[in-house]
Amino acid sequence: MSKEITFTQKLLASFEKAAVEKVVQKGDFLIREGEIERNLYYIKSGAVRVFYLSEYEEYIIRLGYDGSFINSLSSFITAKPSEFYIQAIRKTTVKAISKDKLSQLVHEDEESQRQYISLLEQLITQQIDREIDLLITSPTERLQRVLDRSPLLFQHVPLKYIASYLRMKPETLSRIRNS
Amino acid sequence: MQIRQDLLIDELLALTEKAIESANTFKKLPLRELNFKKTSEEWSILECIEHLNLYGDFYLPEIENQLLKSTTKSNNLIFKSGILGNYFANLMKANNGKITKMKSPKDKNPSNSELSILTIERFIKQLEKLKSLLQQSRTVDLTKLKAAISLTKFIKLRLGDTFRFLIYHIERHILQAQRNMTS
Repeated sequence: MSKEITFTQKLLASFEKAAVEKVVQKGDFLIREGEIERNLYYIKSGAVRVFYLSEYEEYIIRLGYDGSFINSLSSFITAKPSEFYIQAIRKTTVKAISKDKLSQLVHEDEESQRQYISLLEQLITQQIDREIDLLITSPTERLQRVLDRSPLLFQHVPLKYIASYLRMKPETLSRIRNS
Repeated sequence: MQIRQDLLIDELLALTEKAIESANTFKKLPLRELNFKKTSEEWSILECIEHLNLYGDFYLPEIENQLLKSTTKSNNLIFKSGILGNYFANLMKANNGKITKMKSPKDKNPSNSELSILTIERFIKQLEKLKSLLQQSRTVDLTKLKAAISLTKFIKLRLGDTFRFLIYHIERHILQAQRNMTS
């Protein structure tokens, strides 16, 4: 684990050096559907939601807050139009680094490459956890799994967005939280 | 009212296409203009659009379900409007681009909902869905198939009339929204 932290630290250091700091007002977007993701963002302060818009609803697939790395990942990797929106839930300050810059960091030396791979492996594991979340019928259990992973979620993100992320009604979430 | 079904579908597709064009025009307007209300009772552009989204939330899944249930396939169909269906459709229809004031049911009132540019983007997705449903309807019997209406559980309309009602209703509120444009 300590080695993974090293790469994250290196990444963070380069985020600190990266001149591009961006302030996104509440309701504004880091990226919209149809645009191509060219950056990886580090959230200094604030909170964002990543969601998919269907003809009926907005489906939140990810939430990010202080200390999260976030972007529209598939578009970032493939350079195809993003299927997702990333919107600030409140005033949010991010640092951005470009795909080129990231790739430069990753390929600097063998150790960085190795650590980057293990970071991606972690990400894959998280995605599988999320898939299991969605298969679980019990709302209580679904909430518990997410809280185990992100204990501070409710401090950073309003309930209605957590409810959408958990695929339940805000009323349901509020009820199981209080019981 | 009686019309060749393919001609009806073409007419409705053309109206839907026109609605998409208008929605894309709205999308370019500043948020201030999209939220502008002439009086507190009148709807802003975004409120008109959200009102249509609320109708779409009911009718699009309902139409899709009815289409999925249909098993027969035929061509050269003639659509015959029902008495009630024809009445509702004509009630919505604009007359030479003119519309009269009507009251909307409470559950379809968009006031006080959270509206943004996403309201228009969702609307465009609904219109694309509507186009696809119209295309899928070419070989089903729009006179025989029925769909529920949002007003009451006790009445079903012929699917062709449901489409007419829904699309004329869209045309009506787009005209209403356009009256709010300052440019």
